[in-house]
Amino acid sequence: MEKYPMIKIKDGKKYFYRFSLNQRIQHIILAVTVVLLVLTGMPLKFHDASWAPYLYALFGGIKYAPVVHKVNGAILMLLFFYHIFYLIYVIRKYHIEPLKKKGELGKWDAVKTVLTQKMVPNLKDALDIRDLMKYLFFLTNKRPDGDEMTWKEKFDYWAPFWGMVIIGFSGLILWNKELFTHIVPGGVLNFLIIAHSDEALLAGLFLFIWHWYNVHFSISVFPMGTVFLTGYLSEELMVEEHYQYYVKIMKKAGLEHEILPPHGAHEHEAHEGGASS
Amino acid sequence: MKNFFFKIYMLAFMALVVFFMVVIWKVTFAHILHEYSNRKQAQEISKFKEEREEKGKKSNFEKIILESEERVKRYLGYRILEEVRIKGHFHHIGFDIGPDKRSYCINCHGDMPHDAVKELRAFLNMHAFFVGCETCHVRLDGQEKTGIFKWYDRKTGDIVASPVKKSSPGSFKAKIIPFEKINGTIQRVDSQDRIDFALEYRSREESLTEAQKSRAKKLLHKIVAKQPYICEDCHQTENPILPFDAIGYPKERIDSITSTEVVGMIKNYTKFYMPNMLHPGETLKK
Amino acid sequence: MIKTRIQKSCFIIFLPLFLTITFALLSSSYAADIGNCLLCHKYPGISRVDEEGRMRLFYVNEPIYNNSVHAKVKCEGCHTDIKEIPHKPAKKVDCLVECHIVEPSTEKKFSHKDVEGFIQSSVHGKVDKDGNEKKYAEDYPGCKDCHDNPLFRPLSFFKRVRPGISEQSLSRCKVCHKKEEFVYQFYNHVTTRLHKSRNPLNIAEMCGRCHDDPALVARHELSTKAVISYGETFHGKAASFLDERIPDCLDCHVNKGDSVHQMLGHKDPASSIHKDNKGKICATIDCHPSASPKFATYGVHAEFNLTQSPAQYFFTFFFIVLTGGTLLPLMGVIFLDLLRRFFPHATIGRRK
Repeated sequence: MEKYPMIKIKDGKKYFYRFSLNQRIQHIILAVTVVLLVLTGMPLKFHDASWAPYLYALFGGIKYAPVVHKVNGAILMLLFFYHIFYLIYVIRKYHIEPLKKKGELGKWDAVKTVLTQKMVPNLKDALDIRDLMKYLFFLTNKRPDGDEMTWKEKFDYWAPFWGMVIIGFSGLILWNKELFTHIVPGGVLNFLIIAHSDEALLAGLFLFIWHWYNVHFSISVFPMGTVFLTGYLSEELMVEEHYQYYVKIMKKAGLEHEILPPHGAHEHEAHEGGASS
Repeated sequence: MKNFFFKIYMLAFMALVVFFMVVIWKVTFAHILHEYSNRKQAQEISKFKEEREEKGKKSNFEKIILESEERVKRYLGYRILEEVRIKGHFHHIGFDIGPDKRSYCINCHGDMPHDAVKELRAFLNMHAFFVGCETCHVRLDGQEKTGIFKWYDRKTGDIVASPVKKSSPGSFKAKIIPFEKINGTIQRVDSQDRIDFALEYRSREESLTEAQKSRAKKLLHKIVAKQPYICEDCHQTENPILPFDAIGYPKERIDSITSTEVVGMIKNYTKFYMPNMLHPGETLKK
Repeated sequence: MIKTRIQKSCFIIFLPLFLTITFALLSSSYAADIGNCLLCHKYPGISRVDEEGRMRLFYVNEPIYNNSVHAKVKCEGCHTDIKEIPHKPAKKVDCLVECHIVEPSTEKKFSHKDVEGFIQSSVHGKVDKDGNEKKYAEDYPGCKDCHDNPLFRPLSFFKRVRPGISEQSLSRCKVCHKKEEFVYQFYNHVTTRLHKSRNPLNIAEMCGRCHDDPALVARHELSTKAVISYGETFHGKAASFLDERIPDCLDCHVNKGDSVHQMLGHKDPASSIHKDNKGKICATIDCHPSASPKFATYGVHAEFNLTQSPAQYFFTFFFIVLTGGTLLPLMGVIFLDLLRRFFPHATIGRRK
């Protein structure tokens, strides 16, 4: 983890470290497989929609599209298991081992460490949501000052996480239905199909609307945020979304005097200024 | 400039978001409401089963007229046969010929207008499929008579080249229409003026008085002959009404149309049914 | 729900390949029209509206007829009351009539008479076991409610199995059989019969004409709108994508080896769908050979319907609420976020 500097300076602009190469590769695999899974799954869910046969035909129709779906599903399942393994490894190596070395690992410290991971939702997220509502309903001009991971990102992380558990395992059972119904009755399949397809719809819409809005279509990042490729986030966006964390990092790096003011409203001001000059 | 485009983009995106919200509403909560109303309906049906059944027997425009047009596709592997499904019909139709959009008469009389002479009506309707009504029901005499007949496209109404050689008998996408001579100019009998007059009558029918209606109907049917041309007027070798050669019939088709087989059958019919045919207007009545 | 309007794009790809073959070959005239009925009946417009207001079409499309299983049957074979031209309005065709075709294995005249017996003893018979007419007898199907003129669906096995005729196979037939018409007829007949003469989607549509009618379902106290619920299963969806291998109604509802006309109700102990026999349906060699009998407890006709399958209903309900409840607020946030960006400084109350 040390190999990534927290702040990189390129062309006089500061970029802030977000994701390691390993994480970025995981994300790309996730993204590609999910898109393919949605494209091969949704025509089946909405089989009487006018677009369904055409989309399905693109993946080889009823003969081959299910195969594409299963192959991608299998890759995604492997990725999921890898990610679990990766999580355990990271938490052990960078959080628990150092504590152990110092001899400070008490009875509850392991649990506490897990619960204070940056991706675990906490009170700050609730407050941020409250502040965001205040902002969106024109009660204040101040955006919430996000921490390293904002509630949006946590949502983006846990929604697919839960989705993968539900969709992945139901899909696995539906794939090997003959085998599983030696153990469970066939009626269970009815529920698994509902769970698989309905949860997939939720996950798909969530990703393509909410996640894509936040990382692609919002004018702060339009046409595309580059952090998923470079792993580094621009200072502008850092200020907008993660102000609290931004201040912390800047202080740590000894750049107190270069800290930008919080985004009162939006970078619109900057744009407008730029446009008029 | 960039700012302006961003604003347009944001507005468009807002519209998109609203659209998606509607879509999501439809696939989620609306689905539950739909199920609920369906279930209520089903309960109602089972509750008033007998009653509903009685109701179902009653003639209902929707059920009888509109529901009858069902389309089916048969997947034969090597081809897809798409056609209209007529309930209880055994033989396949296999193709579609769109409705006649031009006709002066069809708006009121329908495209299967012949009904009165029981033994002949199917034949007459068969002819009405590719012979415009005016061909038989308008008799041009003297000055007006031109002897010119042409084909018009069912869909566009335009005069087209003869389709006879290209299609199988009777399955043309065109119909025959006579031409008349008025003040020295030759024009088709179903002129745009006439069609507009008929259409306007249709659209204003409800607001007219009985007297106005009668007058309009009289004018509309002014061109209609009391005595339409009959089978033998065309199915004969000596001077048939339709100039078969000129409207594109090849020799073997003309021979077939005027053959002893066809003419003989008509003779048979004439012997039994001609008395009915000679009642003027009978075949026209709806 | 299965709908005909869906464009079946994957099949269209095959179309140009096979379209040419059969129809070009078969449009040559057959011997069926000895009476020269087509003199008049070849005209598509030959039609009228009958006394009940039904459209009657007397048109016979010759190429299509010649590509049907009845191609060898003369018009008079079914329309037995027509002896001369011109003729009076013909009687309704009795499908059970003995026609002029000789059935080769018994050398007796051919007839569909046996079907009558099968239907009578099946769930679709109009009379019950005691010979009394069933309630709503008019709802029970006659021949033409399920069948129109069955069309050939030939298969080629020459190099690989594909729809259509194999000319190479035909050329082999012709070595011995000199009459071309016979060869085509026989080839078509045999290869059509080696698989289903109708695609699963067409079968489902046919059953659905009655079994999806809510009034009929209610009248006969059926548990489901059968084809709609079938359409929600993978089988039904695959059928709507024109899968030929997928089971349709007949595959589960008729005992293997029986006539499809011998369909029995689920209460009949001899029925394939009786609770004691159901376990065997799925585990056939063509379908799910390794499945256990438990597999068949899958709810094939489960509907999203509180009264029919409450457990599934609430389960779906949960996901619907979860989906709508998550996405709609989030999209509200997106909308407000966009709106907010238009008015970055428009704070109500205190201003900075």
